[in-house]
Amino acid sequence: METLLAFLTIFTQPELLLLVGLGTFAGVYVGAIPGLSVTMAVSILISFTFSWPVYPAIALMIGIYMGGVYGGSRTAILLNIPGAPSAIATAMDGYPMAQRGEAGEAIGITTVMSFLGGFVGIAVLALAAPYVSDFALTFQPRDYMLLAVLGILLVGSLSSGSLIKGIFAGALGLVIGCVGMDPLTFDERFTFGVPLLQSGISFIAVMIGMFGVSEALLQLHHLQAPVVRQKIDRIVPHWSSLRRHLPLSLQSSTIGVLIGALPGTGGDIAALMAYDHAKRVTRNPSRSFGTGAIEGLVAPESANNAAVGGAFIPMMTLGIPGDAVTAIMIGALYIHGLNPGPMLMVDQPGMFWFIVGALVMANVFILIFGLTGIRIFTKIVEIPRAFLIPLILLLSIVGAYAVNNAVTDVYWMLGFGLLGYFMRHYGYPLGPVILGVILSRLLDDNWRRAIISERGDLGAFFGGLFSSPLSTVLLLVIVAIFVSQTPLPRLLAARLHRHRAA
Amino acid sequence: MKTFLAGLALLAVTTTAALAADDFPKKEIQGVIQWGAGGSTDTVMRAVTPHAAEALGGSIVMQNKTGGVGAIALRYVQSQKADGYTLLMGAENPQMYKVLGLGSEDYNDMIPINVLARGVPMFVANNDAPYSTMSEFVDYAKAHPGEVRVGSTGPGGLTSIVLAMLTSQVDIEFTRVPYDGDGPALTALQGGALDVMPVVLGAGIEAVKAGRMKVIGLVDVAENPLLPGVEPITKSFPGFANYLPWGPFFGVFVKKGTPAPVVEKLQAAFAEGAQNPDFQKLMKDRGFIVMSLAGDQAMEFLDSYRSTSSWLVHDAGFAKKSPEEFGIPKP
Repeated sequence: METLLAFLTIFTQPELLLLVGLGTFAGVYVGAIPGLSVTMAVSILISFTFSWPVYPAIALMIGIYMGGVYGGSRTAILLNIPGAPSAIATAMDGYPMAQRGEAGEAIGITTVMSFLGGFVGIAVLALAAPYVSDFALTFQPRDYMLLAVLGILLVGSLSSGSLIKGIFAGALGLVIGCVGMDPLTFDERFTFGVPLLQSGISFIAVMIGMFGVSEALLQLHHLQAPVVRQKIDRIVPHWSSLRRHLPLSLQSSTIGVLIGALPGTGGDIAALMAYDHAKRVTRNPSRSFGTGAIEGLVAPESANNAAVGGAFIPMMTLGIPGDAVTAIMIGALYIHGLNPGPMLMVDQPGMFWFIVGALVMANVFILIFGLTGIRIFTKIVEIPRAFLIPLILLLSIVGAYAVNNAVTDVYWMLGFGLLGYFMRHYGYPLGPVILGVILSRLLDDNWRRAIISERGDLGAFFGGLFSSPLSTVLLLVIVAIFVSQTPLPRLLAARLHRHRAA
Repeated sequence: MKTFLAGLALLAVTTTAALAADDFPKKEIQGVIQWGAGGSTDTVMRAVTPHAAEALGGSIVMQNKTGGVGAIALRYVQSQKADGYTLLMGAENPQMYKVLGLGSEDYNDMIPINVLARGVPMFVANNDAPYSTMSEFVDYAKAHPGEVRVGSTGPGGLTSIVLAMLTSQVDIEFTRVPYDGDGPALTALQGGALDVMPVVLGAGIEAVKAGRMKVIGLVDVAENPLLPGVEPITKSFPGFANYLPWGPFFGVFVKKGTPAPVVEKLQAAFAEGAQNPDFQKLMKDRGFIVMSLAGDQAMEFLDSYRSTSSWLVHDAGFAKKSPEEFGIPKP
């Protein structure tokens, strides 16, 4: 009964309801603007809500978080500039849809799928949090490393056209991620004695440059091209279309919750993995992937919103952040006099259920705000390029500066913008670069942790791969994906077929 | 005449200085937090600063400037005007910059506004570990050289210094697995990827209370109210008393050359902020000891921390430069 009351708190207090709504609304815009990140917004809110009671403060933060993760898809679809790292996969099929004048439909399906994914995440949080967090704890450094290797295989899905160029781009990303002071030993890597490089290259600056600036530069080629008129008659997706994509959405959401619940991986990796999953399991996509397939929107958007619920799982059950935003929320709980940790759910179950309720509400608001106001949003694409391009550049600069309040990041951003422009010009995909940067630390740190734990004994390391069921499963998945993505099995099948025919 | 003019000039200078202090703060004050959002430095600073701002009658806007083990933030504050409008909100790390070659300046090159609190380190272990006290742990590690996996947060971090204290007393070997922070390391400890981790009490206390890991040693000279029944490490290893009490700390600093009246105003404001009951409760719950030191007391504490840690690191062999080079006295 108390559980129910705590869960319903949010619905019965108009003030809290309003705050979640406000947060979600603001979050959609924060998320949509590249560089204005949810992490940043939530940390500003800590000071802003300092003197508030804890419930309203948390309600506002949850709204921003949920809204922000969803909002990243807006600019990804409309301008080909992901508003947040978790929307990179969304741009791959969302933008082609906008170019066909189907931005309304793309946003519609994105909204509904975010909503669905969000609910799966919340449901898992509410019903199975302790089990999932215990499972997440069993991941050893070796398993995180395998997960990163699995991630690197996504290069194949993210490279349209030449795979070699994709691999090159992915490797470039891995190297970019290595620059700076090594977080494990504090030795400098690839800094060439330049103090500026010590703190590394901001991943967000790379992302904004590669997608934002390069897109703006590319648009300069089409200054005279007529703007695409957007059809906005079909925003709410058809029931039949939803039903068709429901299985994919649920599978992607499962990926999202699990990846989200692992401390150290979040919505960005989850969305990319889900996109890759969609590419492999969808037999007859609405169009081929990369040219505006609905499935290419369904998977990443379900996954990244499901990852939100996932990220709360270790936070609520163990006091361990599932991602950067939940890390800040843990700080907020401390400041408000709570002690987040394994005892929080025992001492104050009300807090847990209140958060679940607020997440549900934020998710509902996403559906409301997402499906209304699309008309105005799609107008963005119809803005004449003479205004749009400077606007993109301005937002990119503001966003890059805002990440660390450092002008250096603006220079990096512009530099990578130029590089990104030439890469696109010569057919190098940009997705793998970002993938490489995201995975660089995950792979590098965990490989070293794993091998150090075995005291440098490679034999013991490989032994561990087979003695732990989790590692074995991950290894098998990697092998399976590798085999299914190279021409080898197809050649074998063809030979077998010929054999039988003969 | 000359003296008169000089006196007049002096008067003018002091009145302007006094005037500057009278209407301080005229504008927003910027608080630069050395570590990322959500970390313990961030939490402590965001908890105390609004109270200090209220006492000051101004506003302090905080932002995180991370990187270079906090050196980026310190360098930034030192590059601003010495007018009290830019505060460095940091942890203990800068006191090791010189010997570790991470920077040429530390807190001794700044003016302490308030050294807010210090933490108490402890040793925690995985629940399945076959030892429950420091002596048992040391015996086990001696019998199984190199087998115990200890989490490490890099040279100069709390773990490296506490382990240096231990290895200066007993001859044991571990496998040190690097993690970028005590949070991820404690997660790994619970999952069985690590066996032992020296960590500040506040970071592990909730997990200990819930029985997810066990405390095997308290690195202090006296028992801690949060850990009843855990004896201080000096009971089994009296040699530790040379280094203790020692612990990570949090403090607010300004650039040297900031006018004295402004410094005094800021010191008074943060001293008042630190007295706030909400802040006191937060610190107590997390096992931090509120000190609220300023002036000579603060300098004394900072000096002592620097000399203990620098020489430990030097003797353990992972200092890049000798503390002697910087005139850091032996403890």
